[in-house]
Amino acid sequence: MTPTLAALGGGFRAEIQQLRRSRLLVVLTVAEAVIFLVLVSIFGLTANHVPTAIVDSDGGHLSHQWAQDMSNTYHTYGVRYMDARSAQQALARGDVAAVLYLPANFSQRMAHHTMTRIHFHVDNVNADLANEVELGIPAAARTFAVHNHFPGIRVVSAESDLVRNEVGFVPYLVVSALALAAFVVAGTLAASAVAREYETRTLAYLKLSPTHPLIPLSGRLLATGAVSAVAVAVAALLVVAGYRVTPVHPLEMAAVLLLCVVIFSCIGACIGILVRRALPLSALIFGLALAFYLDSGSLEPARFYGNWLWGIAHTSPVYYAVGILQHAVHGLRVTPETIGVNFAVLIGWAVLAAVVAWLALRKAVVA
Amino acid sequence: MISGPARGLRQTWTLAAHDVRQWWRAPWAIAAALIPPVALGLLAYVLTFNLGHQPIALVQESHGRYADHIAGIFHAQSGDLYSLTSTDKANATRLFDSQQVAAVVVIPPGFDAAAARCPALQPDQIIHDYTYARSGCPAAKLLVTVDNANSNFAGEIRRALSETVGFFDAPDVVTPVSETQLDMSDLNPYRVNVMTALTRANTVDYIHYAVIPCLVLLILSVGVMGTALLCARDIERGTARHLALAPASSVVLVAGRLLGGVLVSLLVVVPVLAIGTLTGLISPPPGHWPALVLLFLATAICAAGLGAVIGATMRGARAVSMAAAVICTYLFFLGGGFTTIQFLPSWLRHITTFVPTRYAIDGLRQSLFYPGMYGFGADMRVLLGTAVVVVVAGGVFVRRAWSR
Repeated sequence: MTPTLAALGGGFRAEIQQLRRSRLLVVLTVAEAVIFLVLVSIFGLTANHVPTAIVDSDGGHLSHQWAQDMSNTYHTYGVRYMDARSAQQALARGDVAAVLYLPANFSQRMAHHTMTRIHFHVDNVNADLANEVELGIPAAARTFAVHNHFPGIRVVSAESDLVRNEVGFVPYLVVSALALAAFVVAGTLAASAVAREYETRTLAYLKLSPTHPLIPLSGRLLATGAVSAVAVAVAALLVVAGYRVTPVHPLEMAAVLLLCVVIFSCIGACIGILVRRALPLSALIFGLALAFYLDSGSLEPARFYGNWLWGIAHTSPVYYAVGILQHAVHGLRVTPETIGVNFAVLIGWAVLAAVVAWLALRKAVVA
Repeated sequence: MISGPARGLRQTWTLAAHDVRQWWRAPWAIAAALIPPVALGLLAYVLTFNLGHQPIALVQESHGRYADHIAGIFHAQSGDLYSLTSTDKANATRLFDSQQVAAVVVIPPGFDAAAARCPALQPDQIIHDYTYARSGCPAAKLLVTVDNANSNFAGEIRRALSETVGFFDAPDVVTPVSETQLDMSDLNPYRVNVMTALTRANTVDYIHYAVIPCLVLLILSVGVMGTALLCARDIERGTARHLALAPASSVVLVAGRLLGGVLVSLLVVVPVLAIGTLTGLISPPPGHWPALVLLFLATAICAAGLGAVIGATMRGARAVSMAAAVICTYLFFLGGGFTTIQFLPSWLRHITTFVPTRYAIDGLRQSLFYPGMYGFGADMRVLLGTAVVVVVAGGVFVRRAWSR
């Protein structure tokens, strides 16, 4: 074995031993990564199907159909049948966001095409939610009228969709979150490995290495990268098994997650050199991950944010990673750039991050 | 001569002041506590710019009376429901392919003729059976192509377009109950007029609703991390044993440590509140300030107690800081800091019943945004009860850790 390989292997083994001694830290790092999955799931769960009570005083065929149309229209309402008293209590408690009162003669009036008043009480807890709840009503009314072939409807829309099998919001979000989980895990572990060298003042000893002083440190980063890859694989399996998301292109998914681990390990090493203390690293990287989240197309294609935010998105590797991940898992194209371009840019990012990390480490060790 | 209780209070204050000084001299600890809440606040703030304004292209290939009318509705609702680009078909296709618009709406050449074929509704028309109009006139069609990348995003576009299309035939399908405008129901082919009534006197905009709860995360993060790191540092440096040997009762010492944690939280929150009040970002209804102060204080005490438990049970500043960050973030999200808890699935809502931050965030929103204090008493009871439990638990853990 050459001295270079021996030094690389030595650094690798030393870091693995270090991580084995700090199992709690590894567990906490993975827990921090999983936060993103939890975060986006909670966010996604409240984005649709706003709980809405229907007080059906009619009970006829058409009132049931109205409720069903409301329930089926664009994922807006999560319809629950209640009596008037329970509905009012639920609205006061905040268990439902709105109550719709279908009057006693609703079906008869609709059948006779008589104008009917429906009362709709909305909990305007915030402007966004109140607006969304109100905006769903014309759509439901129109669907009901079109289904029943009411006369006088002069305009309808004929919709064609870009994607045949529409992806749910939560499955979309958790796939994007995998790139950020990779950032949190790989970034934190690599940054901690470098910062520890400063804190324990062992960086100077690297100069005594019979090979290039950065080789043992590279071995350590390889070890953190390997552990990160396993942690990200666990998160990916959680997405596949827990959220029942089956990747369309599993190899593509594995490749992009591995690339993310490489890039974020190098970025983490640079952060470790800058901060030189392990204490604030996890919080700092968590905060940075949120900044990446802002503008990576994690909620919807970033292009729709407008030119300014879309331009900024290009400065983040997460943008390209999310683009590839959505294609690999759901078969979606969420960036104007092709998958080939996204991969090329990510590889460029990996090379750039590795070079910058190498130069920064060299400067740190020599200094 | 100083009496016993006064001496105890002075000792408590001395230790608390010492802890605050220690924390103040650790800029990285301050950074670690501040970064997550600041980043989350920023995230919520930027997200608000993206709400409900999807870019849409409109292609008008018919220029008759009805086509111009519906195009006018699109333009009138642009800005409120979506951002609109009027263009030709080729350019719209290019914009759609390059994801510069999320949907393309085409008013086709035969639109006017089709709309004119369908007569407007007559008030005395009666539907005798549900298949009445199957032989009736086919309505004019708007051709819509949607980038349905995910259901939420596509639903947003469809709702907005539905509102516009519906407005053509039935501009008054939804009417605020407060309005006493002319009822145009005879022209409404949907035959329903939905009268909406809002349950609250004022509606909070999304920026305030989402960003303000980050104050709770700020108190939590600073209090938990500050207290936890001070406890962990004492144990790491061996100074905990000195404290155990000090000629002061353990109650006084533990109280001093917890008071230090509370003061650290307040040291950060008070300037933030002052800036927020001066800039108008925080403006509670008259008379709600005492409730707000009580809420912040109770949250800070909970944070200090929890920090003491973490700091006394975990080893190493790194593990403590990570655990504090993870726990605070989970508590914040499960407490509804980023969403509205009531609208979560029931199983998740049951879990959040046991998350004290839920009551802090509920109470904060109630006292800041709404004139009444509905549910505030219950929120405070839970929060104060939690404060008592975690302070006792924190005290026990810290005392044990010092004796080891």
